Amino acid sequence: MRLSKRVLTAAIAVTTVALAAPAAMAPANAKTTVKVGLAFDIGGRGDKSFNDSAYAGLVKAQKLLKVVTKTVSATAGGAATEREDKLRLLAQAGYNPIIAVGFLYADSVKKVATEFPKTRFAIIDDASIALPNVSSLVFAEEQGSYLAGVAAAKASKSGKIGYIGGVRIPLLQKFEAGFVAGVKATRKSATVDVKYVSEPPDFTGFADPAKAKVIAKGMTDAGADVIYSAAGGSGKGNFENATEASAAGKPVWTIGVDSDQYLTASAAEKKHMLTSMVKHVDVAVFDMISAFVKGKKVADNLGVGAGITGRRYNLKNNGVGLATSGGYLKKLKIAAAVNAAAAKIKTGVIKVPTVPAA
Amino acid sequence: MSRRFSPQSIALTLAAPLVAAVFGLGISSIALMITHNSPLETFRAMWDYGTQVGSLIEMVNLGAVYYIAALAVALTFKAGLFNIGVESQIRLGALFAAWIGAMFTLPPVLHVFVILVVASLVGAMWAFLPALLKVKRGVSEVISTIMLNSIGSALSAYLLADHFQQLVAGSNNVTTKPLPQSAWVPDLMSWLNRVGIKDVPGGGPYGLVFLAVALGFLYSFIVNRTRFGFDLRASGASPTAASVSGVNPKRMIILAMMLSGAFAGLAMMPVMLGESHAYTLGFRGGVGFTGIAIALLGRNNAVGIAFSSLLFGFLEVSARILELNGIATEIYIIMQGAILLSAVAAYEVVRRYRETLNARALARAGVTA
Amino acid sequence: MNELAVELRHIVKKFPGVVANKDVSLKARRGEVHALVGENGAGKSTVMKVLYGMQRPDAGEILVDGQQVRFRTPAEAIAAGIGMVHQHFMLADNFTVLENVILGSEPTKHGRIDTAAARARILEMAAAYGLDIDPDAMVENLGVGERQRVEILKVLYRGAKILIFDEPTAVLVPQEVDELFAALQGLRAEGLSVIFISHKLDEVLRVADNVTVLRHGQTVAEVAADSVTAQDLAELMVGAELPTAPPRSTVPHERVVLSLQGITVGGQGTRDLLHDVSFEIRAGEVVGIAGVEGNGQHELIDAIIGLAPCQGTIVYNGTDISRFSVARRRDSGMGLIPEDRQREALLMGSALWENRMLGHQRSAPVARHGVLQLKAVKADAAVIMREYDVRAPGPETPAHALSGGNQQKFIVGREMSRQPSLLLASHPTRGVDVGAQAAIWEELRKARDAGMAILLISADLEELMAMSDVIKVMLRGRISGTFDPQRTTLEQLGVAMTVASA
Repeated sequence: MRLSKRVLTAAIAVTTVALAAPAAMAPANAKTTVKVGLAFDIGGRGDKSFNDSAYAGLVKAQKLLKVVTKTVSATAGGAATEREDKLRLLAQAGYNPIIAVGFLYADSVKKVATEFPKTRFAIIDDASIALPNVSSLVFAEEQGSYLAGVAAAKASKSGKIGYIGGVRIPLLQKFEAGFVAGVKATRKSATVDVKYVSEPPDFTGFADPAKAKVIAKGMTDAGADVIYSAAGGSGKGNFENATEASAAGKPVWTIGVDSDQYLTASAAEKKHMLTSMVKHVDVAVFDMISAFVKGKKVADNLGVGAGITGRRYNLKNNGVGLATSGGYLKKLKIAAAVNAAAAKIKTGVIKVPTVPAA
Repeated sequence: MSRRFSPQSIALTLAAPLVAAVFGLGISSIALMITHNSPLETFRAMWDYGTQVGSLIEMVNLGAVYYIAALAVALTFKAGLFNIGVESQIRLGALFAAWIGAMFTLPPVLHVFVILVVASLVGAMWAFLPALLKVKRGVSEVISTIMLNSIGSALSAYLLADHFQQLVAGSNNVTTKPLPQSAWVPDLMSWLNRVGIKDVPGGGPYGLVFLAVALGFLYSFIVNRTRFGFDLRASGASPTAASVSGVNPKRMIILAMMLSGAFAGLAMMPVMLGESHAYTLGFRGGVGFTGIAIALLGRNNAVGIAFSSLLFGFLEVSARILELNGIATEIYIIMQGAILLSAVAAYEVVRRYRETLNARALARAGVTA
Repeated sequence: MNELAVELRHIVKKFPGVVANKDVSLKARRGEVHALVGENGAGKSTVMKVLYGMQRPDAGEILVDGQQVRFRTPAEAIAAGIGMVHQHFMLADNFTVLENVILGSEPTKHGRIDTAAARARILEMAAAYGLDIDPDAMVENLGVGERQRVEILKVLYRGAKILIFDEPTAVLVPQEVDELFAALQGLRAEGLSVIFISHKLDEVLRVADNVTVLRHGQTVAEVAADSVTAQDLAELMVGAELPTAPPRSTVPHERVVLSLQGITVGGQGTRDLLHDVSFEIRAGEVVGIAGVEGNGQHELIDAIIGLAPCQGTIVYNGTDISRFSVARRRDSGMGLIPEDRQREALLMGSALWENRMLGHQRSAPVARHGVLQLKAVKADAAVIMREYDVRAPGPETPAHALSGGNQQKFIVGREMSRQPSLLLASHPTRGVDVGAQAAIWEELRKARDAGMAILLISADLEELMAMSDVIKVMLRGRISGTFDPQRTTLEQLGVAMTVASA
């Protein structure tokens, strides 16, 4: 049974490679060139946030490590088997390692990684797969968000602060929990208005700047003067609102997420962007490829279950943190407080919650 | 509705979908050429990948889900109604089935049966709301079912997150408690082994593909062979004539919508009992809408819908190879759309031709005035 | 001012299965209101569609201002100065009067709509013809009478010299009718020709100068309005020949099949659509209902069959069925030949065998325990087709492919197949060719002789006189008279139907 399956798999792989050949860049030396496959989450490239960050890491690896790359993506609302098939096709075509971006890939990675034990897989934002050939790459978003909370509490005059999450899922609630904890620890009397752009299974909250803008406007109208948007592409609505509100005499600071959003913001938006909570998906992707090229594995014990290995990116290893572009943290004399909090988190003095207080 | 099976009649029945398929390929070719891809190579890549055993199994699996959803839509089309709410009926049916199904363990077949009943009942109840609104307050079911899709989606989010969820260490997914093994329906790979087909990665056809087949027969029987089906069709063909003939239009609206919802609730069961064994954040969306397109393409006919479901499944599966060739997967959506539009046009052409044939037959029968 | 504005000569228009116009001629002069009257189905609308370019005649000539013309589309008719004011208004509700009037023929200046010029012209026309209207009012805020004036202005704006009004008073209340008639006088005074289609004879005599009467698709008379009475017109419309009913060989039984007691159906306004109607039908008896259409006949059928909620008591074969559903009433043995067979009695797109089941889907031989007996149904449909001479290739033929007469024969056959004890027959021979008419009459007589009770509603007084044992006349939802056809003249019926209403 096992044998026949492998024979068939090989046969499929051969045809698939033949088909894929014209499009894939022909490697000069097929034996040594590493072929990296990367599967995007819903939304794919162009979100200026999560997926693009992963892509940045891939591009960096392409340049520095001379690897060949191939990206695939999941259709919005697509079948679970689509994600599975796409991973399998990459594996059959000889891509190794294969990186799946987003927790929705978990079941598919588990299944396909079992089928291809010699191929290295990585999954971002999930640590539930106990397989020796799967690296789970997860982030301590709550730590970075805690720092963002400290900065927000310091920068706020009114003591009213807003949090806009993309979709109400546990992942985003981690951001919320850290952020609120950071605010409260810094300024007990401050309040955080928590809103989400959409509820699952509606994932449009990551790409609905118009709705996010309405939410942000509601917050500023109610007196909020710092708003943290952890909402992928929807963050744009937060930034636009800040520009408009500030022009109307209500200065508002914004905090971006995932990438350093100061770098992609417009000139007007830059004036109000206090900082961004950077989640270095790019670093995780690059580390993963880099290790593979060197013949190593990213396989720290994550401590969530037997056999679940990979890497947790946190403040200590610079996997998350606050961006300093714009220099506002310094100008407003907040940097010291942020650094102090960071030091305490790194040493374990402060334990940041990962679930919002009920 | 059923016609005599003369060779000419069969040729006519096949003409429309064939013309539509050819036309759909034509439009897709244009789209491909605009994006600087070779249509011929694209189609060949799709064909080669789509006809592999694993892909064919996946086609059947996707098709089974689409088939049930499309039957649900078609039931209301037959009655002159339009249940756009199949989408949320599927979702809520599956959510409750997953939740209740995981509460207990029963003997295997019985457990599966109970889960199917739950899914069906919840779907029917969710479809009862728009029917009630239409009967009592004259609210168009088109509007109310669209709105209930949003409400159903939000409701499922609330229930899943606040009441039904079970946390899994290290995972960011939200999921119901997994169904016990007694509720799992094994795939049919061993059956395929017996006829000489070897194992493929990804597994065999879902066991509940048979549910889809059974529902197809049930649909056909209800619609064509029962008094209820006749009332349903009469209401769709002419509401006035139906009520004069003794059909209670309000009762018919409620029954048709609830039956449709009952079908809809079952649509994702092959996947849930065959593969995912839980309702998660990754629960598939959009099946209800695809079902509408397939019901249209299949002309509300059980066999037509079966072919259409498989066609949509085939296009979807075979397009998965394209990204590796640097072509956007979404080409299959263009193909599906183009085929559907061409089919609507082609059916009309064939219908007119049939009219002409009928007129000639009348003339031959010696009817002057 | 007496030149001919329009003349129709021997127009013939056939449709599959029916000859709508056999030989219609009509002359309308300038400065004249010319009425076209006839029973429903006499061919009035068809001939006007021919004149307006919506239908092409199979034979005959159309002359406008003495010149022979041939219209292929309404646009060509409009260009020749012919306009039609439709019974159902075709106005955009969210536009103003002015916008509606100029819609489709907007005057432009430098590529923009010249609203000023349009307003000036509309006000000028309104003043000239006495059509009082505010050009800037939104149409959605207008009453029915005002909307009609907008329709008239629309037609005039396009330069019409000959205006066709298709049953214009059907939708108006009496005061609005007066205003309309005043406007018609205004049009006449300006030298325009008005062709006025109606079957309300008192109105015709009030407004028209001359009247052309159609019967069964033929022009039977052209008379000056001041030289005739309503009775004369009624007689011309229905035909003066006395009915030739063969003497019936059987007499009605004593047993009462249907008994109506105080049946009342409420209407939208203050007046009941059906008010306190009581009568009985015995086995083997034909009760005929005469009356101008829209006087409650439709509601009467709906009340008996259960489609219209009503007060009063309906006793059928000794059972009070007032609370029964439509299905239960039909299944208890009521046959129904509805007024509008295509909407109410047939599934036009479905095969004849499927239509065989309609109304009979709950009982044998069509269904057993809720399951359709398709084989039996198909066989039975074939039997009906044979016995009732339904000319079609077979039971698989869709209903819409049949001519009106064959459709009706099929319906009659279907309803008779259950051997109902009561048959409700509404206009059973309307729009049916002569052969089919005779066949249907024959079937009804046979059934009556076999003991069936029949309620016969018809606009054809000859048919009523020939078929009925007793005739009841309906007027404004009440029974206004009961007549014995053996001792009644058409004139007497006509009086009860029309003059009494004036």
